[in-house]
Parts: sequence; structure tokens; C-alpha cells
Amino acid sequence: MNLLELKNVSKIYGEVKALQNIELSVAQGEWLAIMGPSGSGKTTMMNIIGCMDKPTHGRVILDGTDISKENAKALTSVRRDKIGLIFQQFHLINYLTALENVMAAQYYHSMQDEKEALEALARVGLARRAKHLPSQLSGGEQQRVCIARALINYPMLILADEPTGNLDETNEKIVLDIFKALHKEGSTIVVVTHDPEVAENTQRTVILEHGKIAKINVNKKINGGNKI
Amino acid sequence: MKKYTFYLKMITSSLFRRRSRMFTALLAVALGAAVLSGLVTIYYDIPRQMGQEFRSYGANIVFIASGEKSYFYDDDLKKAVSYLPAKDIVGITPYRYKTIKINEQPFMAAGTDLEQAQKTSPYWYVSGKWPQKDGEALIGQEVADLIRLKTGSVFSVVGTGADNKPFKRDFTVSAVVQTGGSEEAFIFMSLKDFENMAGGQNALDIAECSVSVSSERLGIIIKSVNENAQGITARPVKRISESEGAVLTKLQALIYLVTAIILILTMICVATTMMAVVAERRKEIGLKKALGATNRMIAAEFLGEDVFLGVFGGLLGAVAGFILAQAVSVNVFARSITFQPLLIPVTIAASIIITAAACFIPVRSAAEVDPAVVLRGE
Repeated sequence: MNLLELKNVSKIYGEVKALQNIELSVAQGEWLAIMGPSGSGKTTMMNIIGCMDKPTHGRVILDGTDISKENAKALTSVRRDKIGLIFQQFHLINYLTALENVMAAQYYHSMQDEKEALEALARVGLARRAKHLPSQLSGGEQQRVCIARALINYPMLILADEPTGNLDETNEKIVLDIFKALHKEGSTIVVVTHDPEVAENTQRTVILEHGKIAKINVNKKINGGNKI
Repeated sequence: MKKYTFYLKMITSSLFRRRSRMFTALLAVALGAAVLSGLVTIYYDIPRQMGQEFRSYGANIVFIASGEKSYFYDDDLKKAVSYLPAKDIVGITPYRYKTIKINEQPFMAAGTDLEQAQKTSPYWYVSGKWPQKDGEALIGQEVADLIRLKTGSVFSVVGTGADNKPFKRDFTVSAVVQTGGSEEAFIFMSLKDFENMAGGQNALDIAECSVSVSSERLGIIIKSVNENAQGITARPVKRISESEGAVLTKLQALIYLVTAIILILTMICVATTMMAVVAERRKEIGLKKALGATNRMIAAEFLGEDVFLGVFGGLLGAVAGFILAQAVSVNVFARSITFQPLLIPVTIAASIIITAAACFIPVRSAAEVDPAVVLRGE
């Protein structure tokens, strides 16, 4: 069953066609990578899938609902309830501790639960750093807080923008291991990346060029030789 | 943890963990509140200060006999005075007048309470000592020049008493008085000496009174005296009370204007600071929106921070404003001002309102930040 479907999606900014006639579906529990050079439309696609932008043409169906015509308020609600965002630059609130950053996502979603937030941090190996401010954490630790925050509200779709882009090799491995574990548990993950090593771990890789899907690579190793 | 507890946690963390940024905003609010509170204190204290200041220009009420009689009694004066606010009375000086002759030249003798005269007429310039003993007199500069008298001179006074019998008394000049007014043609002596010389017990021609109240209140007091007292009429010394009123009106209008300008400047200052804060926190706002915060939630967070800034800035401003008003009062009026406790909650409330109003535009623009900014890496 498809969790996400992009049907003939285009995004046009004046003269610039950022995305052109994109046809893509992401199955429930699938791990998909989006790759492409700068200006290929990756960020635009992320914004549209993440309910932060609307397509000029086409339909975006998430969990059976067409979100392409929704207003900003409804998109906020969809984003809050169904999507977990992970950013390249971590984007933690600098005056809140690691624990409070995770709880902030709970606060905007519904009700904060400190115990649950601590468990989320423990899951990414940061229980002992819960009371630390982002400035007191390393890049890898900040990214793990960002992952814990994305997971706290049990999103249907985890959307990650270059999650290992600012990390060293050791932290990249830690983060990838977390993603692998999430995938094993059945999470649906869409990750935008430049890193072939990250893409190698996903089931499919969508290559974007000039706003169009140039190629879709299926990772037979991950899929056990089955085409998705 | 309840929702509002986390809301407060976010606001306080934003304020206290971003000290340097928030200090600028707090300083802007506190400065505005200080000037505002200081000016309001001065505005309300000016009538009292100026009232006291004007007392050095002489009496502001004069009592005269009412009806057909040309004099009134000491008891009438006491009853009339009972309608005045006792704590605000600076002095009450009764006067009796009689034409006398010195070396066949006519002059006006005035019997008075010399101690009270010093209080109601502090502007008199007296060369010598005020009369202390019986038979001593204070003569005006004009009298001294005409009959060539100086401190220590003895002169004889002749006239007709209340019983139509002639009298003759000798006085010693204890001092010469310069006032720049008609008083320089008078010979002042104690009431006791005056009565011994001219007769007539307890009858008074006029009484001057100096009361330290605003010109507005003076009018009310005079009205009350005239409605209740008998045999005596109170009148304002217009030269004093009207000048006082005019000066006060102009001064208060000036302070009102300055306060209004300060209010606008404070709002501009706070609004600019908050706009800078919002611009600086665009990415944070975008992130919060990306995490699912609604516009209302974002606005509520900023307004919460503004209320905190208003409370702390207002409190600091109220204290600093009092110190400012005190410094102004001591330097201008050489008197301290009274602390008005009510001004603290009023200043805090005004600071919250001003800060909230000033933040209206920045908060609106904060709510309009696009959540996609966090992905664009701006």
C-alpha cells in the first residue's frame, strides 16, 4: 500500500520549472533516497512532500488524502500529525536543552510527556545528555536529538534532508544505524542525500535532474532481489 | 507536565538563556518605563512643589471684614482658619492699621504678629533684627529715608486712639525693611504695642494667610470659608494664585507633551528591537512552524516574552523613574518627592501595554515566516 503518491507534480517559480511532471509513489515501510545535483529540485520536492509548499500542478496524496490543495493551516496540521522532519543543519532550538527540544515537538503536537521524551533520547543513545543545551553537544549528538524529536510523535513518514551532510564518519555510521533500525521497525523514510553511502542503504534511489526524475535505482541487495 | 508549564518554560528559557539579546530589549523597555514613570511622578508632584515654591512670594489668601463693618475680630479669624487644611498652613498674619504722625508727617502704622509675618512674607529683606521687645519697630525703607532713621534710632509717634484721645509713644528702630512694594512706607510693630498705643482690643483690619496648596484647591478652600465663616471674607491674592496657576498649567502641559513623545519613542525603540529579534529568530520560527506550531502558538510565545519584558522592564523602570524624579526634584526644587506606591503597578501595566502594542507588527511578521526557511538553509 502506498503511503505517499506524487501524481504529475510540477512546481514553477516564474520562468523556472523547479519540478516537472513528477510521478512517484512511496510504499508504507519503504526507505527511499532522493539524489541529484544542486538545483535539480530536491529541496522543492522535500518542501512539497513535507507540506511546506504546494505544487503548481498535480496532486500529492499522503495517507490517502490529497494535500495539494490544502491551505497553510491544514498543511501545518498534516505536518504536525504525520511527518517527522530531520534537517542537515539539525535546527535545534538553541535555548532549550536536548530533552526540551524533543518535548517542544510534543508540545506543538499535543501534550508533553517527559518520560517518553527521555525514552526517545535513550533510543538514540543520548539519555545522559538530556539536560545539555545544543551548544554543549557535538554535531552527531545534535543530529541524534533532531532524530529523537522527529520520532517523538510517531510520524507516518520520516523526511530527512541530508541527515549525514554535516557529520564525520563515526557519527554518520551512528545515524545510519538509527535509520536502519527505524526501517527494520517499519518506518517509512524519505531521505534527500548527496552521499552514495546513505543511498546504498535505501531500497530505492530517485535521481533528479533539472526538475525531472532521470532514473530510479532499485537496491537489489536491500530488497533481496525483488523489484519494488 | 501541563501545557502552560512548558509554555512558560520555553518563554523563560528564551529570556534567560539568551541574556545578551534580551538585555537589549529589556533595556529599551526599562529606559522607556523609567522616563515615563519619572515624568509622571514629576507631573503629579509639580503642583505640590510649585505650591511650596510660590509660598516664598507671599500670602495667597487675604481675609477682610464682610458686611458693613470695616474690621473683624480675632475669633472670626480663628473660625475661618479652621476651614483651612492645618498641615498646609505656612503662616497667618493679622494686621491692624492706623495713620500716625512722625515729625508732623503722616505715616501708616501696622500692628502685626511679627513672627507670623516672617512666614507669610519670607521675601522681605530686613536690615537689622526683627523686633523682639516692647517698643521696637520695623520701619520701611521709604520711612527711613524720609525721616532719616536707621537701626537703633528712637522716634516718637503721635496720633488719636480708638477712644479719640491723643497718644504719643516712643519706638526704637530694630530694623529697616525693603520689599519693593507698598510695605516700605509702613511702620511695623507688635500687636501688643499697637493696642497699647491706639487702643481697640482684638479687632483686625486684614489677615494674610499662606497656604501650601494648588491654585485649584485654593479656590475650593476659599469657597468653603466664605460659605461657612461669619463676619469675615476670604479672597485669593490673584497676583500669586493666578501666576501659580498659569505657570503650573504651562509646566504640566510641557511635561505631558514630553511624556507623550517619550511614549512614542519608547514604542518605536521597543518595536525596532523586537523587529530585530524576530528577524534574528526567523529560522527558529520557521523550525517551530515546521514542527507543527500554529501562527497563534508563535504569536503567543512572542507575546509571552513581551509580557515578561514588560513586567521586568516596568519594575526596573518604576524604580529608576523614582530615582530620576527624585534627582530632578532635588536639583530643581531643592526638595525631595513623595514615593507613590501606586506608580509601580501602573508603570508595569503601561510597560506591558506599550511592549505588546510595539510588538504587534513584529509578532505578525513572525507568524508569517515560511516554515520552508529551515530547509533552504537561510
